[in-house]
Amino acid sequence: MLIVIILTGIGLVCAVIIYLVNAVVPRKVQGLEKTEEIASILPGINCGACGRPDCFAYAQTLTKDANVVTKSPCTFVMLDNERLERLEKALGVTLDASQMSRKALIHCNGNSEVIYNYSGVETCKAAAQLLSGYKKCPYACLGLRDCLEVCPQDAISIKPENGVAVIDPERCTGCGLCLAECSQNLIELVPVGTKIAFLCNYAPLRDIPGREKCDAGCTHCRKCYKSCEDEAIVWNKERAIPEFDIEKCTRCGKCIEACEQNTLAEIKIAAEAPVLSHVGTMPGGHCAVPER
Amino acid sequence: MNEFIVIFIGMALINNIVLVRYLGLCPFFGVSKKLGPALSMGMATTFVMFIASVATWPINQYVLIPFDVKYMEIVVFILVIASLVQMIELFIKRTSATLYNALGIYLALITTNCAVFYLTLWNSLYDYSFLESIASSLGAGIGFTLALILMSGIRERLDIADCPRSMRGLPIAFITAMMLSLALLGFGGML
Repeated sequence: MLIVIILTGIGLVCAVIIYLVNAVVPRKVQGLEKTEEIASILPGINCGACGRPDCFAYAQTLTKDANVVTKSPCTFVMLDNERLERLEKALGVTLDASQMSRKALIHCNGNSEVIYNYSGVETCKAAAQLLSGYKKCPYACLGLRDCLEVCPQDAISIKPENGVAVIDPERCTGCGLCLAECSQNLIELVPVGTKIAFLCNYAPLRDIPGREKCDAGCTHCRKCYKSCEDEAIVWNKERAIPEFDIEKCTRCGKCIEACEQNTLAEIKIAAEAPVLSHVGTMPGGHCAVPER
Repeated sequence: MNEFIVIFIGMALINNIVLVRYLGLCPFFGVSKKLGPALSMGMATTFVMFIASVATWPINQYVLIPFDVKYMEIVVFILVIASLVQMIELFIKRTSATLYNALGIYLALITTNCAVFYLTLWNSLYDYSFLESIASSLGAGIGFTLALILMSGIRERLDIADCPRSMRGLPIAFITAMMLSLALLGFGGML
């Protein structure tokens, strides 16, 4: 009983002190109002995904430069229309909801040779346990319909000619359920309107060219790199794959023509509005360039 | 005077709150990527530790011990420290923008940090006097800052070091922390 009284007393004293400080201390500092308004819209869980210590620090960055909002992962997580509207008002920028939406893309172009006859459980997860799957490339899409079964929109189908899953961008809603399902880690959510995509997930050792693994894989020939007139392709020496500088890329398509393996492919993920720069890079080294 | 120095050095090095007692590891790995934020975090933690021991000492001495309710110190200390830090954050936010930019954003993060809390429990466990608990709080804060600065200096260099791909980032940071901790354990038994 005594401790209840003591606890309540201390709590009350603390509450009164905080109330008094709140009431007595005047707001001397100007210019923090906007930051506070933005901070009240943000999720407020201090997750640190934006690279700042907490949500308030992120709000401070936003007050200085409102354009950061289009590049931050926070905006993609916060897909709540009412919140986004409030954020638009507070920042004075327009965030097109269609710009925010993303669609799944499978980073495999198929055709890796089958090295043994697999006759086990018909799921990719089980098949991936044996020598990273029954295809020669350890990163290949196995096509055993794991992603297909989880898709609520029936947007995924298996290409009959090479047994690789493809996603119908018209149907895909970008829910991301298939991402976790893929045992090969091949699926990435790319912005709507993505034009150029690197359809290979083969993270190579430099002395084993991709051609030995797959006739549609990246051979690290650097032709795309040499063909680019805008210096928009940076050659990642460690993974020996091209990486796009989306600020410089003019979407001319010369790299796609240069690619003899068809690893770099022009794909159109339906979009009405041009898409701002957000490019996902997965551990394997994916590249996708959104259309301007 | 001598015992204050002993307590200060003891908390800063021999019982270093991060590297020997393994507390406050969340800011230790979360905010030690760059030197600047690490220093601010260390300063903010030192400040909160100081405030916390100043505030909890009278409560422990004049409320908890006389009424013989010391078993509730955990709850009482959390209540006091959390509301105090909130009040200070509010105060700084209203009065000084520069101070808020330097410390404010870290204050909310360490409100209920275990390192701060451990320090107050330690003070009450060893029955420190008021000045002794201030010395121990400053020592613990300096020790925390030291650990964070050492770690961030090393991590800035690790970023450009040629280390195996699978070890990059957090794994090598954990190994570094282990070695730092081993080095500080060498102070054990010095005093």
